[in-house]
Amino acid sequence: MQLTLNQIDKSFGAKKVLRGISLSAEGGKAFGLLGRNGAGKTTTIRILMNVFSADKGEVLFDGKPIDYTKIKFGYLPEERGLYAKRKIFEQLVFFAELNGLSHGDAVASVNRWLVRFGMTEYANKRLDTLSKGNQQKIQMITALAHNPQIIVLDEPFSGLDPVNAMLLKAVVKEEIAKGKILFLSSHQMSYIEEFCDSIAILNGGQVVLTGDIYDIKRNYPRNRLVIRSTERDAILAKYQNACKLCEDGSLLLTLASPDEKQNVMKELSESFDLDEVKVFEPTLNDIFVEYTENAI
Amino acid sequence: MMKQFRTILKFELKDFFTDKKFVGFTLILALIIAVVMFFPRFSGSISISDEPVQDMNQDLPIMLVHSANEEHGEIVKQSFQTVFFGYKVTLYSGEASDLEEKVISGEAACAFAVSGLDSYTYYVNDLSMYDSNTAHANDAMSIYAMVQSGMTYEEAARILSGAVHQEIVTLGKDQTNNFFYTYIMIMVLYMAILLYGQMVASNVASEKSSRAMELLVTSAKPVSMMFGKVIASCLAGLTQLTVIFGTAFVSFNLNRYYWDDGGIMASIFDMPLELLLYMLLFFVLGFFIYAFMYGAIGSTVSKLEDIGTSVMPITILFVAAFIVVMMALSSGEVNTPLVKACSFIPFTSPMAMFVRIVMSTVPWYEILASVVILIASVIGVGYFAAKIYRMGVLLYGNKPGFGNIIKMLRKK
Repeated sequence: MQLTLNQIDKSFGAKKVLRGISLSAEGGKAFGLLGRNGAGKTTTIRILMNVFSADKGEVLFDGKPIDYTKIKFGYLPEERGLYAKRKIFEQLVFFAELNGLSHGDAVASVNRWLVRFGMTEYANKRLDTLSKGNQQKIQMITALAHNPQIIVLDEPFSGLDPVNAMLLKAVVKEEIAKGKILFLSSHQMSYIEEFCDSIAILNGGQVVLTGDIYDIKRNYPRNRLVIRSTERDAILAKYQNACKLCEDGSLLLTLASPDEKQNVMKELSESFDLDEVKVFEPTLNDIFVEYTENAI
Repeated sequence: MMKQFRTILKFELKDFFTDKKFVGFTLILALIIAVVMFFPRFSGSISISDEPVQDMNQDLPIMLVHSANEEHGEIVKQSFQTVFFGYKVTLYSGEASDLEEKVISGEAACAFAVSGLDSYTYYVNDLSMYDSNTAHANDAMSIYAMVQSGMTYEEAARILSGAVHQEIVTLGKDQTNNFFYTYIMIMVLYMAILLYGQMVASNVASEKSSRAMELLVTSAKPVSMMFGKVIASCLAGLTQLTVIFGTAFVSFNLNRYYWDDGGIMASIFDMPLELLLYMLLFFVLGFFIYAFMYGAIGSTVSKLEDIGTSVMPITILFVAAFIVVMMALSSGEVNTPLVKACSFIPFTSPMAMFVRIVMSTVPWYEILASVVILIASVIGVGYFAAKIYRMGVLLYGNKPGFGNIIKMLRKK
């Protein structure tokens, strides 16, 4: 299974919201959709899910234009909300039926998911009697109950306590293991790094970076070293401008070229008492900030 | 698409029929109507008990009469008593100028000072809008004159009561008979459309403000959502009306015998089936056209508080239609150019054409034209409403003005 967005353009009035968005996600893997507020993530998701159509470009499923009557999406919107005054079971069955299940299948599936999330006792309560975290679990069921091939989760972990977050993580991993395509949008980079193999960073309606996280990191210039040492001052004195002190107390040494790496490391270990020396690999957070702080 | 529509319809209907307020209100209203209908059965048995009629005479309000010609005093009193059986008529033999004071002090409910065969002065505290005493007094004066010229009171009264045999052959519609139920039906049409229409608007707006819409738009087509919602509230409204009017109909017929003077009541419940079907047709079509507009407006609102001001133009349009129709109805002139025009304009025709059909004879082709225009407009409005809805539901923040809505319509 492969889902591809190809050169998607979208304007609202005079405002160009998306400019040539292209990305590709595969079954059995999670795809991270990153971007600052207003970068076009929600619009991309809505075009993906056919809430409205793109001005230009196409959405392909396994290389062919996607057939929305066959491919089902599960969606956890960032703005949560269901019917506050209706019974939980009733509305979960409603949404499952709306997404194509028969009444019997919907009831069975909702019951299964209520058990999985430990929410059975709330089935006949009104939604607004639940805590925020529990409401979120209910909302999660609306995204999963109809067994969609493609799941889009927007900030799924926000507002959950650690135990619930673990439960949800396990569920998300199960869904990925079933071979589904999972889109994960979050500002919490740790979750993206934990789940996603590939990412796309959106900025100003464009994809500014996309690919495999591991590759992205590997392809970063490997000309910086992180050094932990008891002789910080001596190292700083020796390398002067090339070396700077980081907030966490480590030193970051920038080399003229990655080729010098071996020599410098050797030199360091011979001259100073080192706790650790390694090639600097940017975190996703660093990459995100680097790609999105200026533009828009 | 059909499945989605059915699912939404079911979900929305369940919302109505499990709503304690909705069910409670319907049942209480039906109960009150049943109580009213059964009332004569029990109150009737009380009045049948034979109380002496004379005793009641004492409770009657006092009417003083004074005759300028003292010899005619008794004749005047008798003449007035013949006509005013609702009063205890008393001859006042003092000065005519005292009458005013007696009425002010409340000693008498009203007074007549008869100054001759053809003139009198009527004294009364507050002249009610419906005071018919002077009309009756004119009769009394005629009796007085006739008795004066030698007739007995009975003969005079018989002449006046005008036992002329009359027969009315109604070639068109009988307005007198139809008036009451037309009135009731128009009121029902008006209230149901306004109430349920606004309910559609606030339902849509609350789905939006609760953000359930975020999930809905990704799960269902706007057309299914719109039609599901509108048809559900139409069915709920019809059910409610059926329960209320059904209760009224059944309980009236159980007690028909006790509604002895039941002219008005009977005329309401003996409504011809044909008119009931017309009412149903115009109710459904009128309901749709307004509910679609209300739904579309509801979708452009992000906060429930804004709904009142947003639906105002539609409500004003509808109230204006109602006023035109009501004025035509109460004046009895339902075929004025204004009403005729209104009966073809889709936003006013449900009420205007209905009134014309009930209160006058409308050629079949005019009815057909009006219904066809209405159906076409319902489809058109439904289509545009779904379009606005589609755009509106995803718009948060400032509510779009009229211009923006037009722009939305023009966009694909």
